Amino acid sequence: MKGRPLLTEEQKRRYRRQLILPEIGEEGQEKLGKARVLIVGLGGLGSISSYYLAAAGVGHLRIVDRDAVGLENLNRQLLHSTVDLGRPKVESASEKLLRLNPSCHVQTAIVNIGDENALGLAKGCALIIDATDNIATRHVLNRVSLKKQIPFIYGGISGWNGMAATFIPGKTGCFACLFPQERARTNETEFPALGPTAGVIASIQSMEALRILLGLPPKLAGRLLTFRGVEMRFRSTFVEQDPECPLCARPQGG
Amino acid sequence: MKGAIRIIVNGMTEEVPEGATLAFLIEHFQEKDPALIVEHNNRFVFPKQYSTTTVSPNDRVEFINPDFGG
Repeated sequence: MKGRPLLTEEQKRRYRRQLILPEIGEEGQEKLGKARVLIVGLGGLGSISSYYLAAAGVGHLRIVDRDAVGLENLNRQLLHSTVDLGRPKVESASEKLLRLNPSCHVQTAIVNIGDENALGLAKGCALIIDATDNIATRHVLNRVSLKKQIPFIYGGISGWNGMAATFIPGKTGCFACLFPQERARTNETEFPALGPTAGVIASIQSMEALRILLGLPPKLAGRLLTFRGVEMRFRSTFVEQDPECPLCARPQGG
Repeated sequence: MKGAIRIIVNGMTEEVPEGATLAFLIEHFQEKDPALIVEHNNRFVFPKQYSTTTVSPNDRVEFINPDFGG
């Protein structure tokens, strides 16, 4: 409807500093308000990305994590506090996200995401943010991204280092083009993890998510951005679609 | 016996056998992560091409270890 005010006075004030960005404005803000994003993992990465997206006014967040808050999480998982020890991470996260932005609709799932439930969890979501801690779950998210034809923003950290990439079904290769293996060198989750590294990578994922939700071109599509904190350097690797990828390549001559 | 050539691996000059493949270099430099990412002259190389891609003098190879923590 023309002439209808898009935002309330409260929203205009809350988002004032981003509404003045030409790429956002009131129309962009309304797009964010209508969007639904799936965030898998509420650890070091998910703490930051869910917080930034809720703060920015993304209207619907579906957050998934099977774990409870542990003391060894608190060096980096900023959404959780000492008083939350033992609580399910999604419950602790949901409370903080709603405290930050009460207009954000947060849906929680305390489950282990797998091929059997991933489609349902991704239903209605505009994109998937990977905040998991293992390669196998990332392959699950990649498969659901391809089935639902929704973008998948990969992020991973280890110690001082991290990386991020965006996979857009039909436009770029997929996670399996870059990592065809289902297993990494170590499948354990006791990797070294530093808070600021998670902050860097999750912030990049959040920025890319906002770009996609606003209809701006994703900047990490087909590009793996690696961050080496020891050297304080970023580096890009351009990754093409594997023409023989069993998951995303179109059959030849068909 | 083949001679040695100089290439640049992760920014360092290294001597390797002439005609070495990426698969050989992965073994030689003891890159053990099965999800290793390899760049050859700034191009991403798919793992199935490791055994058929050979390096020439002054080529640049980057081994990038993936990060899968969260």
